[in-house]
Amino acid sequence: MEANLLEVKHLQTHFKTEDGVVPSVNGVSFSVAKGETLAIVGESGCGKSVTSLSIMGLVAPPGEVVGGEIWLEGQNLLALSKKELRKLRGNKLSMIFQEPMTSLNPVFTIGNQLGEVFRQHRQMDKKEARAHSVEMLEHVGIPNAEKIVDSFPHQLSGGMRQRVMIAMALACNPALLIADEPTTALDVTIQAQILELLKKLNKEFQTGVILITHDLGVVAEMADRVVVMYAGEVVEQADVFSLFAEPKHPYTKGLLGSLPKLDENREELDSIPGSVPNPLDMPDGCAFHPRCPAATEECKQNKPQLQEVALNHLARCFYA
Amino acid sequence: MRQYLLKSILQIVPVLFLISIIVFVLVYVTGDPVSLMLSDTATDEDREILIAALGLDQPMHIQYFRFLGNMLQGDFGTSFRYDMPALPIVLERLPATFELAIAAMIVATVISIPLGILSATKRNSFLDIFVSGASVLGKAMPHFWLGIMLILLFAVEWKTLPVSGRGSWDHLILPAFTLGTGIAAEMTRLIRSSMLEILGQDYIRTARSKGLIETIVVYKHALRNSLIPVVTIMALQTSTLIGGTLITETIFSWPGMGQLIIQAVNTRDMAIVQAAVFVVAFLVIVSNILADILYRVLDPRIKYN
Repeated sequence: MEANLLEVKHLQTHFKTEDGVVPSVNGVSFSVAKGETLAIVGESGCGKSVTSLSIMGLVAPPGEVVGGEIWLEGQNLLALSKKELRKLRGNKLSMIFQEPMTSLNPVFTIGNQLGEVFRQHRQMDKKEARAHSVEMLEHVGIPNAEKIVDSFPHQLSGGMRQRVMIAMALACNPALLIADEPTTALDVTIQAQILELLKKLNKEFQTGVILITHDLGVVAEMADRVVVMYAGEVVEQADVFSLFAEPKHPYTKGLLGSLPKLDENREELDSIPGSVPNPLDMPDGCAFHPRCPAATEECKQNKPQLQEVALNHLARCFYA
Repeated sequence: MRQYLLKSILQIVPVLFLISIIVFVLVYVTGDPVSLMLSDTATDEDREILIAALGLDQPMHIQYFRFLGNMLQGDFGTSFRYDMPALPIVLERLPATFELAIAAMIVATVISIPLGILSATKRNSFLDIFVSGASVLGKAMPHFWLGIMLILLFAVEWKTLPVSGRGSWDHLILPAFTLGTGIAAEMTRLIRSSMLEILGQDYIRTARSKGLIETIVVYKHALRNSLIPVVTIMALQTSTLIGGTLITETIFSWPGMGQLIIQAVNTRDMAIVQAAVFVVAFLVIVSNILADILYRVLDPRIKYN
């Protein structure tokens, strides 16, 4: 494997609330190689979005990155000044969001918003920026780009807007693209198109991709490697084939078990009992033990560490 | 756009028609116009003659249509105080009123936009608390007090600005600040809350994720969106200012509409009152249409039809 593009080490992002400190991301480590697609999966509230915002330097107060290191191409992002980090955003490092309907500014044209990236990072004038914007729109498969560039966001469909977001994120050919649930808000047919597009662009530009999702179908389709998060921690990490074939952590097993299978005929799907623990009142021992079918006394008392359970396969479980 | 304008202009017609009825009725609900116009020594015979001359012996609807017909030709009757047609007297006051209204709005805008933005971007800072406190104070100060204080300081104590009257631009400063302060206070609070809401929107996060400098994020992406509700308040305030601002105009002897209307009411010079009410109503409608156009300029999602 090539040298890692991104290396996240022991990242800790906390939110200070009136009721106490919420450790949304608690010692998360993973890496992304050049051109690789890493999926981060987990339920809502497991810290996957906060992890991505921490990498972007966009955690809004009262949230704050309180520990760890984030290395992108040999630079520790957490050691950079605000200005230095801003120059990387949208340039080397970019992000697309879940909600294409609200992620574009309603009062400016597509060309204006897309062109901004070129004007900010490539010092182009308006005319050049516009020409590049049209080119970029064509690249992400928007028909009639010459016309769309002068449209306002409300004149486009959700799928089109997400294509615009992708065009915006890829405008400066970033080394790393973070896609935070890029297809959750879209129709199934449009989802497939957007995923296809991301895959194509990932190959073409050799962009490293972090794909944040709770959709295991999307993971199987897109990812090279998978990080499973639970309650702000990584509970399992493996390449996509090992993870689907031999999940080691009971949480991952539960997630995979809750998927419908084509060769089975059943009335009800399996689910993981219980819900994500309250971050202000974490259980002792393994955070998953109250919901784990295989939990023992040891799980209630001691916290398991992330350990290698097979070659390049990590799991946070005593019994993996 | 042209179609929208045409439609708005056509919509003015029924509104103006309703206003004409109200203006017409005004004379009757405020007392007997004949007694007002006659001197104490007038005989019953004089009274009959005047009633006939004014056409007050005619049925109400005939009187109204005559009033409407005259009004459409710009004739609101003669002011008995000035002994001149009423409309030109009212129109003569308009430039002074506009001048003061525009100056007050400029003062309010120049103060409120930067303060509102600063207050929102530096939320809960010392500056924010200070600005919020100052807004409450600004809104709470009555015009008569603020006006007199400004006169005492700038005109009497420091002798840097004229006490009252209208003339060169320095006559405008004190009344414009007296009027603009309250509006600025209200607008500052509105811009702050509107800005805070917008700064939490997804597209602001997108703008930041593109690596744009914070100035562009705030002044381009957030400000334009947060001005949309502010336009409503500006339109309302402008309407109020067009009606003239009685207290400020009186303190500074500013020869505007407010002063004229109050004098006319006091002397029961109904022709002037009618003409002034009509002109003010018309201008309020126009300012609302302008606000509507401004919305459409600011927010492309609002369609023209």
